[in-house]
Amino acid sequence: MHYIWKEWKENIRGKGLWLALSIIVLISVSILVRSTALSFDKGFYVLLLNLFDTIIYFIPILCLFIGAFSIFQEKEQKTLIMLLTKKDSYTSFLLKKSLGLYTIVLVPILVWFFLYLLFLKFNFQLDMKAYFIFILAIVTMSLVFLQIGAAIGSFSRSRMQIIGYTIFVWFYFFFLHDFILLSFLSDVTYENVKLFSAGYFLNPLQSVRMFLETGMGVYSFGHMSRLLQAFMWTKPVFFLLGNLIFWLIASITTAIVFHRKEGFE
Amino acid sequence: MKKLLLFLFVFSITLIIIPEKNGAAENLQAMIDSLEEGAVIKLEDKTYEGNIVINKPMTIIGADKTTIKGDGTGNVISIKAANVTLKKLTVSHSSMNRNSAEEYAGIKIHTNGNVLDHIKITDSFHGIYLSQAHENKISNVVIIGMGKGEIAAQGNGFHVYYSNDNLLSHNTIEGTRDGMFFEYANKNESYENNISHTRYGLHYMYSDENTFKKNTFTMNTGGAAIMNSNHLLLADNHFIVNYGNQSFGLLLLQANDNQIKNNTFYMNQRGIYIDQATRNTLQGNKISQNQIGIELWASSNEQIFTENLITENTIPAVTIGGSGETNFWSQHGKGNDWGSSFPLTDLNQDGIGDFPITYRSSLYQLIEDQELSYLFLKSPALAIYEKMNAVLVDEKVMFNDPHPLATAKGNHHFILFAAAGLAAVLILLKGRHLLCITFGRNGRKT
Repeated sequence: MHYIWKEWKENIRGKGLWLALSIIVLISVSILVRSTALSFDKGFYVLLLNLFDTIIYFIPILCLFIGAFSIFQEKEQKTLIMLLTKKDSYTSFLLKKSLGLYTIVLVPILVWFFLYLLFLKFNFQLDMKAYFIFILAIVTMSLVFLQIGAAIGSFSRSRMQIIGYTIFVWFYFFFLHDFILLSFLSDVTYENVKLFSAGYFLNPLQSVRMFLETGMGVYSFGHMSRLLQAFMWTKPVFFLLGNLIFWLIASITTAIVFHRKEGFE
Repeated sequence: MKKLLLFLFVFSITLIIIPEKNGAAENLQAMIDSLEEGAVIKLEDKTYEGNIVINKPMTIIGADKTTIKGDGTGNVISIKAANVTLKKLTVSHSSMNRNSAEEYAGIKIHTNGNVLDHIKITDSFHGIYLSQAHENKISNVVIIGMGKGEIAAQGNGFHVYYSNDNLLSHNTIEGTRDGMFFEYANKNESYENNISHTRYGLHYMYSDENTFKKNTFTMNTGGAAIMNSNHLLLADNHFIVNYGNQSFGLLLLQANDNQIKNNTFYMNQRGIYIDQATRNTLQGNKISQNQIGIELWASSNEQIFTENLITENTIPAVTIGGSGETNFWSQHGKGNDWGSSFPLTDLNQDGIGDFPITYRSSLYQLIEDQELSYLFLKSPALAIYEKMNAVLVDEKVMFNDPHPLATAKGNHHFILFAAAGLAAVLILLKGRHLLCITFGRNGRKT
């Protein structure tokens, strides 16, 4: 609990969290303003899809930075050494720290999106299930990238390294991952499509998007071909869960194995 | 004596219980049969048991909660006389049997000149079935189907079969197989209908010279599918969020000489999907934020695209299985407005760009060969893939607009600018603390 409190204290004094939140607020308000002309009954879905398409560019990189700098700060302020000398192992430190990070990032986001719902209510016919799925998608995406950020913070030795790794991870998931898959696309057959599917949904951005669009009922998988059926071998929610678990475990393991206790600034 | 009493008792029970179930139906049917031609009957605010057959011209008007409930064995209401008017009724529970000689419906119309107004239909195979019925007026009807995904187990909202000159307006259809299905039906007019969560919102088969205006299609597998139908007019319709993997706003398949004007195609997987169709005119449509604006398949020739606004689509237009150069991207010196998709100058200010726009792409090959490529249409990686292939692979011409329209462009990136501006202000405010320009003083060494 005191990790959460500590994290909160540190973040309200800094600008990182507020900058991140203000960007999210700004984007969601802008999208709302742009969407007021949409129809009352279906505009809600269009707004959520547009909001997601825009916000997906920001949340990953903001969460990566917040996660990475939060861990790195412990190194810089020597509090990490103190904590590890006292009672914690790096694993328990990382887990507690992650929990603190989740809380301080997600609580303001959730509060904002609750308020946002009130604005939406004046303009559109709400679909609470769709909104819940939207929130769940945002939360999952934040969790994955916060944890990857924490891993980056753990093994980085300087701020430049953090910025470099963060931009690389963001670039990888936004461009490189799909680009690699696109290059293999012509070799995909019915026999190997499951492997391809696993690769596709390993990208958190794709599995989150698929979960959101199918969950909201806008993306239908009716009349699927045999190939596509094999590609969608389980429900989108399981792809999302699998993705979440994979990246959490991979990030935590990487952080524990490759962590460095001190930066060299 | 006892036997007599027992007989009377059983007789009275039979009299009371068994006929009760069908009593209302007999009553309503009997009531209808007993009326004279042209009579007006006002029903009470209750549920009547069906099924009923209307054999003479008359008007039936319900109250707020008047329901006619079928017995699930056939059509709930069969109209077999001309000039029948039905108003303010809820109709439910037709037969769902697919092995029967005929397909059943909530209301089946076999005659001409009928009027249906403010009707709600639920729990029925087809909603309203027009069978060789002409010059009927159907408005303010609400048809609720079983929901998306149920294709075979249910029928269409409107099933219009060999029926001409009907007027369908202000109807709402949700969750049926096809919203409005026209088969061998000509010269029908449909206005301001609202169709969502169906397979195809509108489906024309072998139906010519129909008019379809100001209708809205949202969240269907396909907005409108025009197949083997010619000389249609589709104007001022909205095709919005038809978003599934194989979805489209409008499909033209073997459909010729149709006029597609001033429609909006917004956030569809494909805005317009044209296959084996010729001589269709697409004019003044707004095609934006679709994954593919226009998908043209081989042997689609002589389409005219003029004065359309085609912007903010992932791919503006793609030609698959052949060359797109057999279609015309301008008419009478007016091409299309490609918005922010292509840079354009108009130095002489005549509203027409100074140079033609030719769009080359290598994506056609990928889309043609591999259906999974549709999964990447929302990915930012697609742009990089295109750029890489521009160098490495021989690209094909997707379209050539000789007279692109130049219009004032809105600022679509104001969000990004605003976000960047905010970030800059915060960084400037914090500028003197050089240790961490991104995240403030937290990172400062103590």
